[in-house]
Amino acid sequence: MKISTRGRYGIRLLIDLAEHASEDHVALASVAERQKISIRYLEQVAVILRRSGFIRSVKGASGGYALALRAQDIVIGEALRVLEGDMLVVDPPLPNKAETKLQRCIRLTVFDRLNDRIAAVIDRKTLASVVGTVDPDASYMYFI
Amino acid sequence: MRISTKGRYSLEALLHMTLLPQGEYSSTRSIAENTGISDGYLEQLFIPLRKAGIVQGIRGPQGGYLPGRPVEEITVGDILRAVEGPLEPVACVTQNTCPMKETCISTHTWSDLYHEITDCVDAISLADLAAAYYAMDKMEYAI
Repeated sequence: MKISTRGRYGIRLLIDLAEHASEDHVALASVAERQKISIRYLEQVAVILRRSGFIRSVKGASGGYALALRAQDIVIGEALRVLEGDMLVVDPPLPNKAETKLQRCIRLTVFDRLNDRIAAVIDRKTLASVVGTVDPDASYMYFI
Repeated sequence: MRISTKGRYSLEALLHMTLLPQGEYSSTRSIAENTGISDGYLEQLFIPLRKAGIVQGIRGPQGGYLPGRPVEEITVGDILRAVEGPLEPVACVTQNTCPMKETCISTHTWSDLYHEITDCVDAISLADLAAAYYAMDKMEYAI
């Protein structure tokens, strides 16, 4: 039940780019230094996020990366699914593989419910809410 | 974010045991026959499950395993933690080993996820699973 380094570093790259959105673009080397992540690894993660349209690269000697979308339009769940493959706790049942009744009961009662609740948390967060100038999660906490 | 076969098989084995008449011991062999999980793997899983008090074992030819306490008091969370280890999606939720811990705001996301996961699995007991299993029977007859 772990999030891989790819997912963790990918989210931290997005956060770093959102925090430095006032700069036109950010060199990956400075993100690596701030976040204490190896630049080689960060490059791999950046490629995934660029291909899936979350960030864009700026070419040239002073090149780097910037968010391709507004921070409020980047849903954390969507970014995590791209980075992690999916965010499910078990493989989805295969149509050609019979499921025993025990397995079906556990899937319906535990795994499906867990998947729904995980999705609800990560899909209600946007990059903007995580970075927190306007944080609906935090203001929700104050109301309680 | 997968739960491993350790967690999945432990849940199956324990649900199977919960469905037996109360007090009936089951050998790993009979659980293996009923679930299709290998006997040897079950023996391995039952070591941490026994340590956590989730199963109790009696040695000998008449021996076998029973749930270690009333099934209302054994949760899916207890079982998963015993065999999968801590349930936090990222270690920084409960540990302080990361040098970025103070300033890294991604921690909040992982921590929210962790609370959602534990809330969910700690609210489902083996008794709830058994009830869901019997309810499936009714639903299937209805169809």
